[in-house]
Formats: sequence, structure tokens, C-alpha cells
Amino acid sequence: MKLAILSESPADEAAIAVLASAVLGGPFERVQPALRARGWPNVAQVLPAVIRHLHFNTRADALIVVVDSDDSPVHTARHDAPGYFHPLCRLCRLRAIFRQTVKNLPPARGREGVLRGAGVAVPAIEAWLLCGRDPAVTEAAWQDGQTAGHMPYTRAELKWRTYGTDRPSLPHETRYAVEAAKRHSRDPRRLENDFPGFAALAHDIRSWVKPMAGV
Amino acid sequence: MALAPFNLLIGPNGSGKTSLIEAVLRLCALARLPLGSPPANGARRADGPEIEFHFTAPYDGLEATLRCVSENVCDLLQVVPRPGGGGADDWAGLRARLLRVRSYLLDHYAITAPAALANGTELAGNGGNLAAVLAARARAQPEAFAQFRAEVTRVLPEYDDLRFAERPDGTVELLVRLADGGEIVAAENLSQGTLYTLAMLALAFDPAPPPVVCIEEIDRGIHPRLLREVRDAFYRLSHPQATGLTRTPVQVIATTQSPYLLDLFRDHPEEVIIAEKHGRAATFSKLSDRADLAQLLTEGSLGDMWFAGILGGVPEEK
Repeated sequence: MKLAILSESPADEAAIAVLASAVLGGPFERVQPALRARGWPNVAQVLPAVIRHLHFNTRADALIVVVDSDDSPVHTARHDAPGYFHPLCRLCRLRAIFRQTVKNLPPARGREGVLRGAGVAVPAIEAWLLCGRDPAVTEAAWQDGQTAGHMPYTRAELKWRTYGTDRPSLPHETRYAVEAAKRHSRDPRRLENDFPGFAALAHDIRSWVKPMAGV
Repeated sequence: MALAPFNLLIGPNGSGKTSLIEAVLRLCALARLPLGSPPANGARRADGPEIEFHFTAPYDGLEATLRCVSENVCDLLQVVPRPGGGGADDWAGLRARLLRVRSYLLDHYAITAPAALANGTELAGNGGNLAAVLAARARAQPEAFAQFRAEVTRVLPEYDDLRFAERPDGTVELLVRLADGGEIVAAENLSQGTLYTLAMLALAFDPAPPPVVCIEEIDRGIHPRLLREVRDAFYRLSHPQATGLTRTPVQVIATTQSPYLLDLFRDHPEEVIIAEKHGRAATFSKLSDRADLAQLLTEGSLGDMWFAGILGGVPEEK
């Protein structure tokens, strides 16, 4: 299977690749060169072009895109209702961009289209990396904080807790990210439970197995 | 303007970014001379410009003021104690550190030029002397050189080693080995961006760096995806504890015109200084002082906001 990962940094990409492989149940080939975006809203801006590029110019089977939620509204089960779309929810936005971009694309390179894997790290990917090590860090805790108007932690604090500094070098960040992702890869259920934004990505990835089975 | 350990200056051409660096260098140049006294007639220019310098501990008990003595001569440096601070009687100690402040505007021709081995103590302001500095480091401080080489080959994976060619005339030339095939390439055949990267990493991995490093256009010639490495290299100087080093932090003052580099300071807006030109006057402000910054960050990248003009620091248009 050939996957593309759209991420903000090589460290994020390395961690996401480990997690995706764990959910997928095996290794995969990555599209080169690696895709990068400069955070939100740049992801939303480049995503249609990225999807079209992968569809027509590569043999990518699927695209994984993971963004940080930052201070945006957290995706909830209510957003999954048929026809519902929250304009400020980043997962709703990612899914809508996928839907609108692929709906008019003709089949290319022997497949119908590039499959979607979309996830949102609440509030940042460091929260996923801390999951299981710091029980106070969960998507629900962040959401409760948004409701109460008092956030349980800041993104800078998450960086400190994850890397021991808020200015990690890229190798340092990558090493910690991959170590944490490997810890989850043995059993990603805790991550899926504590972070529905990851569960959404895992659900997308598992949905590929059936379409891919006939290829 | 309270400078941070790391400072990124942005702003249009001619807005005073270089002038801020030159003010620091002026202080350091005048510190070489005996401290000034006001002219005998007591007539310093009351309406002339003044630059007042404060320092962090252990020299926070000293204040240096640079003044003009005439229309065209602004070289009166006076140092007075500040109440409550330390080091008030240690101008000599502060002066010794000021004399080690360095400023860089890298030039790829200078970087590639063979350098006299005997001069291998310090990188020149234009990046010259790089080969001699690295050759000397490889000999005298092999561990520091090994760290530098490991970083070079990680950031620039197309190369897997650095070599030196010593010449009969006492000069040395920098060479790199291609990871693919092992071919040896002279520095003069490397791209400008590669040379600037080598020079900046040499600075960042200097085992005895200057107390203050001023460097212009740190993004010049660098691919946008490598700007994170450039930022991290200078963070290694300004925040050594973040990379496990125990030496004294180096204050870094850098300039850029790259929105992509600015994007990397989203988590540290206090490190961004916006220079603006209003007529003949230049003003400086900290990005973190903007009351609406949190809202702006939800709506776009810093680079886009800068280009759009929302942050200021853009050229005047008539």
C-alpha cells in the first residue's frame, strides 16, 4: 500500500507513520517527496491541490492528514450527524474539502480515487504523545476546559511535558515523537479512547482495508 | 527595546534592522577605547540622539550611553552605575565581553576562499576563514568537530564527510564528500545555500562562541523546509539548555525577510521584533505586544499576516 502523509514537520510525519502502520497492521510505502503544510489554515488551502496531485501524478492509495485543533471547536459525535457541518471544526473542514475535491475527479492510475485518512490532534500532537503517560491530558479535558473557559494546559506546557523544553531540536522532537508513537502502536486503543480525533483517523484507515482487499 | 536571548528582526528594507545591529557594534567598538568625558566646554548636543544600553546580570548594575558631541560625531560613550544592579564596579568584565561580540553578513565567495591555517581561530564577519576554523577545530577539539560534522551530514544528507586540503603555502581548503559515490567536492563548487548553512552550523557548534552574535539575512539561500534547522541552530546558541548544553547562553540578533521563517515563531512571538520606517524615523516593537495576537494566530500564519500588512513591517507605498 502506498500512502501520503500531509503534516507540519518531519517529526509529526514520523509519529503519524508509526501510528498509521499500527492501525493498518503492517508497513506501507510512503509517497516521496514528503508533503508539508505550514499549519492551519495553510493545510486547508493546499489540501485540494494535494489531493489532485496525488490522484493524477502518483500511485498513492490514500492520503493521511493530521492537523492540530489549536483553539478551534473540538469535533463531537453531533458533528457526525448526516448533513451536519461545523464551519469552525477542523475535522469537519478536512472531510468537506476531501469530499468536494474528489467528487468530480475521474478514475486515474487504475483506482477510483485517493482514500481519506483525516485526524485532528486536540489541541496539538504532543497531547497524543503524552497519552497514557499523563492521565490529565485527554481530549475531554481540553473540551471541558473550553466549556469552562479555563484550559487545563497550554500547548507550550504540552511541549515541555513531552520534550523537556519548548524549543526542541528537530532530531530531539522526532526521537521523542517516534518513541511515544511506538508505545501506542503496541495497543492504540487507549489513544483512540482518550482522543476521538485520533479514533477518527483510525476509523478512516480501517475503512481502507475493504476497498483495498480487491486491488 | 528589551532584547530576548533570541531576536528575529523583520521589516522592510531601510527600516533600521541593520541600524539596530550597528548600534550594538558601535557600543562594542567604542568600548575598545577609554571611556569618554563630555567636551571641556560641557557642550554635548542636548538635542542629539542618544542610545542607552542596559545589560542583564551580572552586569545589570551598569548603564552605557552613547551620545553625540557634534552634528557629525557621535562617539561619546559613558558608563555609569545603575542602582540595585550587580557588577557596577566591573566595567572591565563587561568590556571584555563586549569586545567579543560578533556580527556576520555571510558571503559565499569569502566562505569558499582558502584560509591561512594560522588564522584558524575565528570565523570572519563575512564567513571567511571557515576552512581554517574547522581544520583547527578538528585538530584541537575533535569532539566538538565530530558533533558539527554529524549535524552537517544530518541537515545536508547528500554529504557524508568533511575533508581538508592543506596547501604548501600554509592555506587550507574545505572539501565535502558526496554520500552517493564518495566523490570529493571542493567548497567552491557547493551551492550558496549549502555554504551559508555550513557557516551558520559552524557558528552554532562553536565550543567557545561569542557572547552576542548578530547575523543578517539568516534565511538567505536556504530552502524554506530547512529554515527550521537554521532556527534550531541559533536556538542552540541562545538556549543551550534546550539541547543539553551547560554553557552560558549566547544572545542572538538575526534579521530576515522570510515569511516562512517568521511562521516558525508562532510559539515565541516575544522573539520577533518588527522594524518600521516612518519618514526618516525607525521604530521597533515586539510582536508579542500586540493585544490581538492570539486572535490573529487563529486566522492565519504569521508569515501571511506579515505579508498582508497586518503586523506592520512592510514597505511604504506612495
